Amino acid sequence: MAMATSTFSPRPASLRPLRAGAKPHLHLLPFPRFRAGRLERAAAAGEAPVEVAPPAGETEAEPAPAAASNGAAVKAVEAPAKATEAAAPPVPAFRDARWVNGTWDLSKFDKGGAVDWDAVIDAEARRRKWLEDYPEATNTEEAVVFDTSIIPWWAWMKRFHLPEAEKLNGRAAMVGFFMAYFVDSLTGVGLVDQMGNFFCKTLLFVAVAGVLLVRKNEDLHNLKKIIDETTFYDKQWQATWQDDTTGGPKN
Amino acid sequence: MTSLSSAVALPSSCRGARPAGGRARLLVARAAASSPKLPSGRRLRVAVVGGGPAGGAAAEALAKGGVETVLIERKMDNCKPCGGAIPLCMVSEFDLPLDLVDRKVRKMKMISPSNVAVDIGRTLAPHEYIGMVRREVLDAYLRSRAQNAGAEVVNGLFLRYDAPKEPNGTYVVHYNHYDGSSNGKVGGEKRSLEVDAIVGADGANSRVAKEMGAGDYEYAIAFQERVKIPDAKMAYYEERAEMYVGDDVSPDFYGWVFPKCDHVAVGTGTVTHKADIKKFQAATRLRAKDKIKGGKIIRVEAHPIPEHPRPKRVSGRVTLVGDAAGYVTKCSGEGIYFAAKSGRMCAEAIVAGSANGTRMVEESDLRKYLAEFDRLYWPTYKVLDILQKVFYRSNAAREAFVEMCADDYVQKMTFDSYLYKRVVPGNPLDDIKLAVNTIGSLVRATALRREMEKVTL
Repeated sequence: MAMATSTFSPRPASLRPLRAGAKPHLHLLPFPRFRAGRLERAAAAGEAPVEVAPPAGETEAEPAPAAASNGAAVKAVEAPAKATEAAAPPVPAFRDARWVNGTWDLSKFDKGGAVDWDAVIDAEARRRKWLEDYPEATNTEEAVVFDTSIIPWWAWMKRFHLPEAEKLNGRAAMVGFFMAYFVDSLTGVGLVDQMGNFFCKTLLFVAVAGVLLVRKNEDLHNLKKIIDETTFYDKQWQATWQDDTTGGPKN
Repeated sequence: MTSLSSAVALPSSCRGARPAGGRARLLVARAAASSPKLPSGRRLRVAVVGGGPAGGAAAEALAKGGVETVLIERKMDNCKPCGGAIPLCMVSEFDLPLDLVDRKVRKMKMISPSNVAVDIGRTLAPHEYIGMVRREVLDAYLRSRAQNAGAEVVNGLFLRYDAPKEPNGTYVVHYNHYDGSSNGKVGGEKRSLEVDAIVGADGANSRVAKEMGAGDYEYAIAFQERVKIPDAKMAYYEERAEMYVGDDVSPDFYGWVFPKCDHVAVGTGTVTHKADIKKFQAATRLRAKDKIKGGKIIRVEAHPIPEHPRPKRVSGRVTLVGDAAGYVTKCSGEGIYFAAKSGRMCAEAIVAGSANGTRMVEESDLRKYLAEFDRLYWPTYKVLDILQKVFYRSNAAREAFVEMCADDYVQKMTFDSYLYKRVVPGNPLDDIKLAVNTIGSLVRATALRREMEKVTL
C-alpha cells in the first residue's frame, strides 16, 4: 500500500536539524533506531502495523533508552527485541517520580531547605525532550498544567544569562582593548582622549552591537533572513498594486 | 459596509485615481460621468463563478443592487473540506439564521508539543462563541438567498472566458452546463454567456485566476478526517475544539479536532512538508488517541489553502474574491468570513461603480474594492502573520505560545480580534506587561530548548 512507502520516507533534514547532527558520537546508534521507533508509533497509531526489517548488525551496546527514573531500565539486549518491535508496544510513556498530576512536585526538588531550581529546569528539559521524541496521547484526566513561569527569574538568569553575558563581555573587552591599542598606535590618541572623540565612540557602539548580534557565523545570514521576512508578507499583499497601469479612470 | 452603499445614487464627476495601496478614507464611490450608460437601457450583467461563501455573498449583493447576476456553481451539494469555523461577526453581518450553526464552541484547548494543555475561553461572554458550520449547509443557504434576491443560479463548470474586443465590449464566459441532477453529469452541454464583468469566486484552484493570469501563491495542504466517535466521547467535544501544536503534528501549522454536527473533524496541514501530511495526520490522531478511541472514519478529505493573495487580483473587468484571491489568514487559516466579506465588498463596489447597474463598470471600480478590503483588514492579516512567524517557528516557540495563551489578557485580545475582526489596542500598561511576558516565555522556552539538546534520553 502506498502508505508504507510514505511513512518510511526519510525525514527531511530541515525538520529536525538538531537531532540529526547533534552528538553522533555520544549516542552510539540511537538515531536510526529512534527514527524507526517514532515512525512505527505513527504507523501503529493510524494504519496497520508495518513490518520493520532493521539490519541485524546495528544492535550492540545501545544506551538504555529509559533512564533510571522510568523504573525498569530497558537494557541493551536489543537484537531479538528489535525484530518484535513492530508488534510489541512502543516506548513507554513518560514517567518520573517527581512528576505528579501533570506538574512537577516542587517538594521533591528539595535541596537544603530551598527548591533546587536547576534540577527542575533539568527535569523539564528532559520531559520535553522525551515527548518530542515520543509524542504521547493527551489525557483529560491527567492534564499537563506545568508553567515554566513558576521558576523564578533569577534561577533562569544564573543558569543561562550569566554565562552568555560573561562570554559576550569578554569578547567585547578583547575587541575593545585591541582596537584602543591599534588606534593609539596609529594616531597617538590615548584611551581617555579616544573616549571624547565621536568617531571612536561610534566604533565602540558598532563593536558592542556586533558582539551582541553576531555570535555565530550563521547569525549574519539569519539576520539578513529576518529582515527579509519582516517585509515579505507586505510585498505579497502589495503585488496587485505594482503593475497598475490603468491609473485613474478614463475621463 | 454602509460606507460603500451610501453614495450609490449620485452619478457625478469622477473621483480620481484609485487610492494608492490602502490609505483610502471612507470609500465614496461615484460612477464616472464618462463611463457610458449601458446601451438600450439594459442592466449591467455580471457572472459570479463559484457558489461558495464568496460567490453567494457577491451574487446576493449584486442582485440586491440591481445588477443582473448569474452565479455559476459546478456542484450544488459540494461538501468543501473545511474546518467550518465562523466568527460571531459573520453571523450578525450576514444575518445568518442560528440553526445554520451546528455547534457553538466556547472552549478551546491549546496543546503544546509536550502536551501542556491550556483552556482558553474563560473571558468569553455568554453570548460569544465560535460557530461551527457544515459548508454544504452554509453554501446552499447563501446561494438560495442570492437566488431570492434575483440572481440566476446555474449548475455548470466554468471553462474559460473571452476578453472583450473593444474597450467597452462584453466578456464571453464559456461553461459546461449540467442539467437536472445536482451531481453534475460528466460532459454536460457547452454554453456561453455574455457578461460585462466577471467575479472569480471559485476557490483555491481558481480557474478564473488562471485565465486572467493572476499568478500563483504558496498554499498549504489541509488534510482532514471526519471521525464518528461514541456519544460519551462526543460529550467532551460538546462546546470544545482542540488545537495541537508541535513538530510531530505540523512543522508550520497546527493539528485540530473540531466538533461538527454529530462527529469530529481531525486534521492537520502544512505548507513546507506536503509529502509528509499522512505522517502528520497520524501524529494528530495519536495525540488525541484516547479522546477519539472507538471512532470510525467516515470521510477523508483534503484541500489546498492559500497562504497569501495572488500577485494580481484584478485584470480588466475580471476580479477575484475569497480563496481565489488568497484571503486566508496566517496562523489560524481562517477564510470563510473573509471570503464572504470580500464577495460582498466587491459586489458593492460594482453596484456603486455602475450606479445600480445602469452604467458600465471599469477596472478602477474593482480596484476600489481591493483598496477598501486591504485597508480594512491589513492589520488583522499582518498581526496574524507576525504571530505565525514568531510562534510557529519551532517547538520552543510553540511551548511559549501555549504558555502565553493561559493569560487572561491574551485570551481577551485574541477573542476580541477573532470574533469581531478588530485589532483593538487595549490598555497600554497591559500591553507592556504582555510584551514582557511574551519575551519571558520565549526566552525560557529557548533556554529549555538548549538544555534539551544536552539531554541524552
